[in-house]
Amino acid sequence: MTNHPTYQINHVAKSLGGKSILHDIDLEIFPGEFFCIVGPSGSGKTSLLRLLNGLEPFDIGEIYYKGQSIQNGDFQKLREEVGMVFQNPVVFAETVKENLLIRKQWDKSFSVSENDLLEILEMVELPQNLLTLDARSLSGGEKQRLSLARTLLNKPSVLLLDEPTANLDPRLGEQILNTMNQLRHQMNVTIIMVSHHIHQAVKHATKAAFLIEGTIAETGLISILTRPATKAAQLFLKEED
Amino acid sequence: MEHSFYIISWTDVFVSLALVALCLFLIRWWRIGLEKIIIIGTIRSFIQLSVMGYVLTFFFGLEHWIYMVCLIMLMILIASFEANRRLDIPIKGYFMMNVYSMSITVFIVLGTTLQFILDVEPWFYPYAMIPIAGMIIGNGLNSATLTTNRFIGELKHREDEIETLLALGASPRAAVDTSIREAIRAALIPNINGLMLVGLVQIPGVMTGQIIAGIDPLIAIRYQIMIMYMWLTTATLANVLTQAMVYRQFFTSNMQLRKELFRVNNR
Repeated sequence: MTNHPTYQINHVAKSLGGKSILHDIDLEIFPGEFFCIVGPSGSGKTSLLRLLNGLEPFDIGEIYYKGQSIQNGDFQKLREEVGMVFQNPVVFAETVKENLLIRKQWDKSFSVSENDLLEILEMVELPQNLLTLDARSLSGGEKQRLSLARTLLNKPSVLLLDEPTANLDPRLGEQILNTMNQLRHQMNVTIIMVSHHIHQAVKHATKAAFLIEGTIAETGLISILTRPATKAAQLFLKEED
Repeated sequence: MEHSFYIISWTDVFVSLALVALCLFLIRWWRIGLEKIIIIGTIRSFIQLSVMGYVLTFFFGLEHWIYMVCLIMLMILIASFEANRRLDIPIKGYFMMNVYSMSITVFIVLGTTLQFILDVEPWFYPYAMIPIAGMIIGNGLNSATLTTNRFIGELKHREDEIETLLALGASPRAAVDTSIREAIRAALIPNINGLMLVGLVQIPGVMTGQIIAGIDPLIAIRYQIMIMYMWLTTATLANVLTQAMVYRQFFTSNMQLRKELFRVNNR
């Protein structure tokens, strides 16, 4: 690991319709980390994740990606490098294969070899025979895996995962997170995941942060997930139990 | 049989009010509740068209191109203002977008019609220029505004799709490509259906007017054909030009979808 963070978030705040959603967020996320942001529903986890690939603007503060302020950068390039998998995956009214290769619609130079395609499908446990089906006919879990595969085809260096296992059965959820971890090791992909499953976070993450009521209550190694020092984090864990 | 040319007098026009009276009777009988607006509409159309008749007569008598250009600009400004009022949600700069797109559309369609199809002399011949310009502006802005409202509907409906595409690295234009396509298709389909059905089911308005006024139907059809093609091109040009500007208003300079603009009706 290098000493330069992939993401450096300094005093970031965001409000929506006059309501403060995130305040004074400070975080550093380093290359190759599996960083898990945990917290109750409505605490601003998804909003924070959306700031990281520039899907939402923020009011004050600064977010640096690989040392560059994202505000002054190329957002299209940022989003190609920083893939995002949404909690409720969107599939388009096309076949599974066309969904996977959707980037061709705006990037004519984008091509994926048959081998790469099959490898990605195998990675996310999506059977090959689904390729010709209408993507809308897939189950919730299959759509989630399709969405993950589509993001991986961009060869991202960071993956933002918003409750990626919410629509999957526990076995498959576990399998996907194991795959993510393998990917992290093999390709040095940094993973930033939002979750409210403490057990999942403890098992897979290398670092974590508690985001409670729009504020980072605590951040550090995963040991904080089981033995937090702050009252807010302790209270959240107690409520989760 | 010789061509006949019927002069319609003001008395005849008043007689046509009997048809409106029949309409009002039915509306009242079935308690549809549109009496007031029908009466206002009847009076307004009477006054507006009468005034227009005098304005046209005045302009037809002017023999300088500058008056015609000024009148067309005024027509574009008024129509753009009206189009702005008909939006489901306010769009910043929509008035000027319409002014730009209609100016270009009028220049191309009217220019082609006057110079290469009708070969009028002088080029600003008011009897051709003003009615055709009115037709282009009216149809173009009507179509463009329907498309814009449909586009707003598409944005609401496809918000998650658009953000998914943005998150995959698509440009705003690529992310709203389907929305723009659907909106423009929906606006053009009536025009295309018109091309398919014209002459089979109904005699179109312009042709009806010409035939009543005593023009040979074989000449009237040529005008009608030209007008149908003109409408199609006008609608396409106006829609494409307007949407090329409209979609940008729904993104920040950092390529973020401005959901706050269409999530609530903030008019």
